[in-house]
Order: sequence, then C-alpha cells, then structure tokens
Amino acid sequence: MTCLIFIVTLVLAAPLGLVVAFGSMSKLRPLKWLTRTFVWVIRGTPLMLQVIVVFYGPSLLWDWSAMSREVAVIAAFVINYAAYFSEIYRSGIEGVPRGQYEAGQALGMTKGQIFFKITLLQVIKRIVPPMSNEIITLVKDTSIARTIAVREIIMEAFTFTTRGLIWPLFYSGLFFLLFNGILTILFGRIEKKLGYFRV
Amino acid sequence: MAILEVEKLEKAFGGTRVLGGVDFSLEKGEALAIIGSSGSGKTTLLRCLNFLEIPDGGVIRVGGETVFDAGDPATRSESEIRRRRLHFGLVFQNFNLFPQYTALKNVTLAVELLAREREDFKRRRSEIFTEIEERARAVLDSVGLSDKLASYPHELSGGQQQRVAIARALALSPDILCFDEPTSALDPELTGEVLRVIRSLADKRTTMVIVTHEMQFAREVSDKVIFIDGGVIVERGTPEEVFGSPKHDRTRRFLERYSGG
Repeated sequence: MTCLIFIVTLVLAAPLGLVVAFGSMSKLRPLKWLTRTFVWVIRGTPLMLQVIVVFYGPSLLWDWSAMSREVAVIAAFVINYAAYFSEIYRSGIEGVPRGQYEAGQALGMTKGQIFFKITLLQVIKRIVPPMSNEIITLVKDTSIARTIAVREIIMEAFTFTTRGLIWPLFYSGLFFLLFNGILTILFGRIEKKLGYFRV
Repeated sequence: MAILEVEKLEKAFGGTRVLGGVDFSLEKGEALAIIGSSGSGKTTLLRCLNFLEIPDGGVIRVGGETVFDAGDPATRSESEIRRRRLHFGLVFQNFNLFPQYTALKNVTLAVELLAREREDFKRRRSEIFTEIEERARAVLDSVGLSDKLASYPHELSGGQQQRVAIARALALSPDILCFDEPTSALDPELTGEVLRVIRSLADKRTTMVIVTHEMQFAREVSDKVIFIDGGVIVERGTPEEVFGSPKHDRTRRFLERYSGG
C-alpha cells in the first residue's frame, strides 16, 4: 500500500503540478489568484487534515456514500503534492533568464522551439534538487494514510506492538531508509548527468 | 537604395516615452554607431529593430520591403514578425548563449530548425545538416574559435562567449547585424578580441548597427554616427563630424564626459 500511494501520487501529481504552475503564472488575473489561493490553502494546512477532509467531507456535506479509504488518501496526496510541485516548477521556469527567450526569438525560433530546445532542459536542471527533496518527503508522508486506517507499513508494524513486538516498527524504519536511499542515488545520477552544463 | 529605413519610430513604456520619433537610414555595407547615455533609448531602438519590443508608431523598411508598419495590423502578427526578424541579427550585451549546447551547436541550432521548414528538407536532410555544420565551423573559424567548437559556454571566457554569440548571429546571414553594447559585460582586457572581430566584419562591409559606449571604437569603425538623447536623435553625421566637431551642446557635453576617461 505504501508503494502504491507513492507511485500513484507521483505519476498523477507531477503533471497536475505543471497545470497548476501554468495557472499561477497566468496573465489572466482571476485564474492566477484562484490558483495561488489554492496553493496557499493546500500548503498552509496539514496533510493529515486534508486526508480527513477528503475522506469524511463529501459524505458529511452531501450525503454521499463514503468513498474508499484508499481513493481518499490518494486523492488528498495528489492534490497536496500537485501544489508543492507547482511551486517547484514555477521557480524553475521563472528562473530561466529572459535573455534565453530573447536570444531564441532573435534567432527566429517559434515559441515551441524555444520551450523544447532551449528552456526545458534548463528548467529540469534547476528543479532536480528541490524535486528530489519533495519526493523523499512524499515517501515518508505515506505514513499519514493511517489517519483514516489505510493499512500502510507503519500501521501494519504497529499492530505487532500490541503483542509486545517492537522490532517490526524498527524494520519499517529501515524500509523507509532503504527506499529513500535508492531515490537519493537515482536523483544523484540525474544531477550528475545534467552536470555537463551550468545555468 | 538604402537597405534599412526607419521612420518616426515611437515607443513608450507605461506612459514614459522612450523613443520619440526616430528617423534614420543605412546603406548596404555601412556600419552605424549609436551613442548616448544610459536610458537615452538606444537599446530600445535596437530591440525595436529586432521586434523584441513592438514599436507603438513608425515604419521599418528593409531593402524597400516594409517589415513593420504600426498602422498596418498585418505586419504585427506573431508569425509575420518571426519571419521578418531574420532580416536582423542581434548580439546581446550578456551573450545569452544556450548553456546546454556546445559552441558549435549554439551556432547551428537555429539554422537547423529553420532548415526543417525547407521543402527539400526530408529528401536532403543529412546533406543539409552537413552543409550547416560546415558553414558553422567556417564562421566560428572566422571569429578565431576553431579550437573551441566542443566547449560549453561555461568553459569559455566572456570574450570567447561573445565571439560565439557573434558567430551564432552571422550563421543566419542577416541583412543587418545589430550589437547591443557588445563589450559592456566584459572585463577590460577581454574587450579587444571582441572589438577586433567587429572591426573585421566592418572591413568585410557587413551592414551593422552598433550600440556602444566605446567611443574610440565607434569613431574608428563606423561610417555614420547617431547621438541619441531623451529618445530623439540629437545629432548625426560622419564620425569626423560628430566626434570632431559636434554642433550641439548636448553632444559636446556627452563626449566630454567620455574623453576624460
């Protein structure tokens, strides 16, 4: 379950975050302020609370039958991480100097060519370190799923403590450490690969 | 016939007039130096020629063809502007090389992308790419960088980066090559190599518009000089006229400030 929450959140929140990022950089003021308010609310409240609201909210407000706990957890995670990712994307995109766009324009490139051939790789290079940070946090945040009794790894381990066994909890810690160790190596490789140029 | 004609060019930023009706023309093979203090509008003028700013008023003609007319919306559309930009090349103050590409790729990139629009591109793809690369090598050689083809911008000095930027602009064979204070971001000991390249272009009769603070250089290299102040041309003439015997007080005061240092 831990891995599932992690993977689905990453796969859905990464592109959704890009949409949110474009919204918060929009020239349409209402859209910009709406998106920024959304990001403010999501980043300004605890993820644990958001999980509870997504799970219990709809059934309390509108008499819906409660959605499955797993779906609720994933939905809350996707929304939360899309907001965080969007800010990382925004900083990456806004960090590309104006001169890069202008140089492309002066050379007769189209907007699409400037984005794909010039700015995209520079944006990726800029966002790899903060993204790796955020994704490592996501691994650990999956433990919040137990708030609404989704059987993620810590909850599983915790059931053993009632029988006086503390070791499973210790092993769950090792699991997180290992998982994040792999991610750290992976992101280190990406960073190294993009190290041939400087922005 | 003049290759470049500019008439009544106007530009304002949020109510502040930056260009107040600038007229000038340039013959093929001439080098025009634009001088003036910071904020006088000279960089804006250059950016208008390259359509990085869209002028509020005026007409720009290249080789008799109207490439911009503020009164004619057809000349202001995005795709038209992109095509017409290619009449002009621009060398920036801060080089603006693409950091993820080698010197060679910086020079070939735009030419390759443009070649994709050619009708015979699919058929002659590899031939075209070979031609482009050969030409890029030749251009980089002409700016003295044949040994730096595979270097990335961060591995080059400021002077070398600016020479790559010049090669990049030349590779598209623009009718008019524009320089926006090409040596202002360089350490003093590196300005020489860039100025030498520009001078050799002048010797080859490249049509150029050069915005510069290097007065001595402007005097030596240009055929015409324009002094801009407050968004209007205060004085114009040959280098001898403008630098040797300026008619206007404002020009004289400006030049005195520079001759001291």
